[in-house]
Formats: sequence, C-alpha cells, structure tokens
Amino acid sequence: MKLSQREEDLLDGKQGPGAKKAMEILVAYGEACDAERMIPIISTHMAGNYSVLMDEGVEWLEELAQGGTKVSVFTTKNPEQFDFDDADELKVPMFYQEVQKRIDRVLRSLGVTLTYSCHHYLVGNLPRLGDHIAWASSGSQVYANSVIGARSNRDGDHVVLAAAIAGVIPEWGLHLTENRKGQVLVDAGGLDFGSMTTADFQALGWSLGKVVADKTPVFANLPSDLTIQNIKGLLYTLTVTGSVGLVHLVGITPEAKTVEAAFGGDVKPVFTISAKPENIEKAYKEISSSRETKVDLVIFGCPQCTVQEVQEIAELLEGQKVNSETRLWICTSQWVKTLSKRMGLYEIIKKAGGRIVADTGAACGPYRYLPELGVRVVAINSARGNYYAHNVTGMDTWFGSTQELVRTAVSGRWEGRS
Amino acid sequence: MRIKGKSVCGGMAEGDALVSKMPISFTGGVDPDTGRVREPNHDLEGQSIAGKILVFPAGKGSTTGSWQFYATCKRGNAPKGIINLKAEGVVAVSAIITGTPMMHQLENNPLECISTGDFVRINADEGYIEVEKKG
Repeated sequence: MKLSQREEDLLDGKQGPGAKKAMEILVAYGEACDAERMIPIISTHMAGNYSVLMDEGVEWLEELAQGGTKVSVFTTKNPEQFDFDDADELKVPMFYQEVQKRIDRVLRSLGVTLTYSCHHYLVGNLPRLGDHIAWASSGSQVYANSVIGARSNRDGDHVVLAAAIAGVIPEWGLHLTENRKGQVLVDAGGLDFGSMTTADFQALGWSLGKVVADKTPVFANLPSDLTIQNIKGLLYTLTVTGSVGLVHLVGITPEAKTVEAAFGGDVKPVFTISAKPENIEKAYKEISSSRETKVDLVIFGCPQCTVQEVQEIAELLEGQKVNSETRLWICTSQWVKTLSKRMGLYEIIKKAGGRIVADTGAACGPYRYLPELGVRVVAINSARGNYYAHNVTGMDTWFGSTQELVRTAVSGRWEGRS
Repeated sequence: MRIKGKSVCGGMAEGDALVSKMPISFTGGVDPDTGRVREPNHDLEGQSIAGKILVFPAGKGSTTGSWQFYATCKRGNAPKGIINLKAEGVVAVSAIITGTPMMHQLENNPLECISTGDFVRINADEGYIEVEKKG
C-alpha cells in the first residue's frame, strides 16, 4: 500500500503504541484486500459485546487504551448484555455486572460514545450520502449503504477501532463506486405489500438471501412508502442467509432512483428472481428452531425496537396480562425507553407484566445469563435474533409476528406458525 | 521444497501442517478452550488446530472471528502459523493482533503441495515457506 507521511508516522509509533497498533492492523487488512491507499472516514460503530470478546478481548481493549490512546472519529457502540439501570432487579449475576463495568471504563477511556444501541443512526451517528465510514455489524452496514448511502465494508471490530484511532481505512470494496453496481434483479411486483407484516418482510429476506448470496441485489417494483421497520426487516435478514453489504431498493436507496441507476447504466443482471408469497411462508418454518410449545421468554428488538414498535406492542398488550410463567421483554435504547416513559407506554407495558429493557438486544446479549434464570425457550419477532440466539448461545427459538408474540406472552404457549 | 509467497504478518514458525480444503470461521467454528474445530461437517471437525501450521483456503463467517481467535491464542490453543490461498480481512487481522506468522498467495497451491503431517517452516519476514514431506 502507498501510505501518506502521516500514516507512515503513525506506523512508526510517533503517535504512541496505540496508534502504531491501529496502523499495523489497517495495513495488514488493506494488503489482504488489495487496497492501494487509505482514505479518511467520518464515522465508526463498534459491535462486539462480552459474548464474543470474552475476558481476553476486554484485556486487549485495556492494553490498547494504555498510554491514552483515543479515537479520532465519532464512534458509537452496539448493545451490551443487560439494562444498566435495572441490573439488580433483573437478577443479572454479579460476574456479568463487574465485567460490564470494565468494558464501560475502557470504552470511555478510548473515547467511544456509550450508546449501547444498534439504532445508533437514529440517535446521533448519522452520516450522509457518499461519506466513508466503518460500521461493524452486518445489519448496520447494510442499512448505511442501502438507506443512508454512506459507504462501509463489512469490517470487524479490530478494523473499526483501528480506523477510529487512525481516522483512515483501506480503500476497497464498497468504498469504490465501481463495486456498488447492482448484480441481481429482484422483481417484487408479485407481492401484496398491503397485507405484509414486518415479520413477513424478514421471512422474505431470509428466503432471498440464500439465492442472492454475495451478489448486490436490486429490488424493483417496491412501494416507496415502506416503513423503516419493514425496510430493516428485509435488509437485516438478507445479511443473515446471504452476505450482502449493499441492497438497492429502487425509489428508496439514494443511489437507486431508477433500476438503470442501480445497475450503474446498463441493466445486465447476472440473474433475475421474482419474489413470491410462497417464499415467505416457507421461510417461517426454517427460521424457528424450537419444538417446545411452552415459552419462557417473549422478546422483541433485534435490531432494538423503535418507539413506533414499542407503541404497537403497548397497544396490543393494553388491558391484558402476561402469563405468570412467561416473561415479556422489549429491547431498545435508553432514549427510546425514556421516550416510552414520557409517552405512558412504559406504564402500560409494566401494568401488563412486561418490561422495557434498554442497552441490550434480542440477538445474543442476554443469553449468557438468562439460562441461569431458567430461560430456555424464547420467542423472538426477529429472524436475525432467532439465528444468533440459537447458533451462538444455543437457545430454543420461535419466530413470529409481533401480534403472535403478544398472544404467546398472554397464553404462555407458542401461538404462531409451527 | 521452498515456496515463495506474500507475507500478511511477519515472523517465523515451524511445526506439523494441518490442512483443510474448507474455509474456517473462528466464531462458532473453533472452540477457544480446546482449539478443536466444532463446525458440523467441516473436514477438520473434531481436530485441534493448536500448535499446528494451519493451511486453509481463507476465512469465512462473522467478523467477530478476530475476537475469538485472540481468545483461542491467549488460551494456548492457536496455530503456530497460518497459510492461506488468499487472505481475507478477518484472518489477516487475527494474525496481526496475535503476532501469528502468516503467508498467502504462494507460487504453488499450498492445498496441493502440503499434506497434513508434513513439517512446515514459515519465514514470513523473508517471504517463503519450506515443506518437508512426512515419511
């Protein structure tokens, strides 16, 4: 790679050992990816929580922070394992509370903004069209590229932190305009969008991700008034069964005003798919991993619930009671929790026997300690959440719509498709 | 037999080769406590990568793999050296943060000219490997 004088100085350790380590990581990564140079970035987002870091990862961060290493770019952080305000009430074991204090301390010392949220773009980390960024977590990355129009590769946390410290990232992949052209055409004209739930959008993403694989899809004939919840449902799930980083939603994606623009001129798809209602129905059966009808926990929020989703759940739940042998959790960010209190939603949910849980998510955050509290079978209104909760932390999972999950919470038994 | 290639992370390592024809994910795919490959139906399933010169096509899967590789290394269960056909980001970063010597883009296909059990020496500072066929 060709480095600037500033980058050479960082690599030589002239700005301290943390910056030297950061530059070493970026150069190795850049050379592995055949990048020719570094480019400046304006936003970073870090993903991993204790589930993947483990003790050694926390120690690595502490070592990096020694000598006053700081990020030079605005950096936010994905959810952790529990709601910091309610940790004792939720019976989070002390071990996890102590390790979280260490993670808090080291991230703050590095200058990371402690959002503990995966909708960081709704609460302050919002780049613009064409900005170069480094966002870990495949869901965040595909949202940045496809809805915001900012440019991020699928970078891991070490690369993201290194980029945040050095302020640059290797130029390759989706940072380059020529790699952002559509490759596969998905005709969505055969779907009845008016009748589709957010869960249906996820089931569609699950089904199509397997076909699209690592190609960049172009969705044509979509209604332009899709809600942010439905857009996220489709995009975040496409990254679970496929490895896409950019999805052109024609009429929504800033770079895809037309099908031609999405393909960068000539519309020459590698192949074409017609999305059909059957795709959706079949996916439901594949996403759930449980056979057990008694449900211990009904959990919402992967990605974390927006305030609109909290409102929907509160309306469905109002006047009912969560079954005494089932828990109901709504995972979100601290500010949506605060908003929910202000709007009276928190009280409605609490009265019904459910709770709003901030700082964590329904994918894998709480599942290191929940089994210790007797939670084994989990219903999640997120296909992505089902996948990670089952495959990373070994939970028994059910996938269904928000309505099905609320019914399940009330009866204590799975009420969705099986 | 000496084969030239490109270095991803410098340093020297030597040991017995463990060769896989399949990509490896360090998140979910390898147990940090034992170094054993635990991905069902992987061609190394049940075998330990600890202390080996690990030869495989490339990394795959979650970008959190570099956290898991780091823990595997600190627990004494990482390979001594890595040889890939063509490195991708997750394994390249894993090698750098642990100081594991790593080479890729060799002049000859390492999956064909190295077999499990061969003795392999990596000199990633000078950009070559040496292979002594077993028995």
